[in-house]
Amino acid sequence: MRTAAPTATPTVTGAATLTATDVEEQVVADALAGLADPWVTIVWNDPVNLMSYVSYVFESYFGYPQTKAERLMLQVHHDGRAVVSSGPRERMEVDVQAMHAFGLWATMRSSGDSDGGVGGDVGGAPA
Amino acid sequence: MTPFRSAPAGYVARWEPLEREVLARVARDVAELVRLDSGIGPDVEVGDGVAFTGVARMPEDPAVRRLLPDAHREDEDVAAEFRHLTQTDLAAGKAARLESFAGALDPDPGSAAGTDDGSGEVLVPREDAQAFAGALTDLRLVLAERLGLEQDADVEELHDQVLSGVLADDEPDDEPDDEPGLSGEERRYWGGVFVAAGFAQETLMEEMLADLRAGRHGGPRGRGR
Repeated sequence: MRTAAPTATPTVTGAATLTATDVEEQVVADALAGLADPWVTIVWNDPVNLMSYVSYVFESYFGYPQTKAERLMLQVHHDGRAVVSSGPRERMEVDVQAMHAFGLWATMRSSGDSDGGVGGDVGGAPA
Repeated sequence: MTPFRSAPAGYVARWEPLEREVLARVARDVAELVRLDSGIGPDVEVGDGVAFTGVARMPEDPAVRRLLPDAHREDEDVAAEFRHLTQTDLAAGKAARLESFAGALDPDPGSAAGTDDGSGEVLVPREDAQAFAGALTDLRLVLAERLGLEQDADVEELHDQVLSGVLADDEPDDEPDDEPGLSGEERRYWGGVFVAAGFAQETLMEEMLADLRAGRHGGPRGRGR
């Protein structure tokens, strides 16, 4: 099971009356809203989870290449936490739930919120 | 207990009968703890990883709270909503995974002889390996809470103690106030289980990572990017 799917907008039921321009404007607005205030998933260090297991989770679940997965794993290990993904809140809920299923300690937050130190390096360098 | 090694049928190790029995029993105990403390109860049936009865509530046991942590550190409403939406599913999945793990090691817990065919072989098919490793993770997280392992150094110290035999039978319990919840004998016992489970998982992960990186991935795919 996944968490709640993105809510359909009321305009969907009346789609026949929408012009292509309306749809495009809505898409652009949604995209801008997502960019303006994305959420992030943070994985926190714990003394139990193995470095190999954390790397495996980052590679198998997120599909990150080995170098990126290991860099994020080491960031968790040395800095105590790392931002491992970013996107709309609904997407981050899915990621946090997956991390909890794996047994990793993960939280999410709006990237606009102060968190006491996690910077804006969302997800680290591009894959 | 030997390291897991990759084989055509999956990942294979040899465990002593006592190792199988103890790890299976601990896994069943953790599964029951998760069910009871997460509010899903002992009778929830799990099919295809889906279970919907009971009401998610904040677990009272700190070890279960670690398995089902708050999803937001500052916003209680966000954390509560997430728990409401996900906890029953997560808890049922973890309990089922632990029970499958136990069943693979010791399918007939009432029998003194177990089902060991004498080879001592533990075979983890590739498609089951992610769940097997996840069960080992949850089991180790609960043991670590009971053992008071809060820092990386605590785990290293326990490893050294267990592997060097410092926690031997005749060792006086010279730090009675160190872990008030556990006697010296309990710490030796659970410490041994924790280290054995860690060895099993570490060697399994080496092989799983090698397969993943070589494109021989047997488990469910992640969501990708």
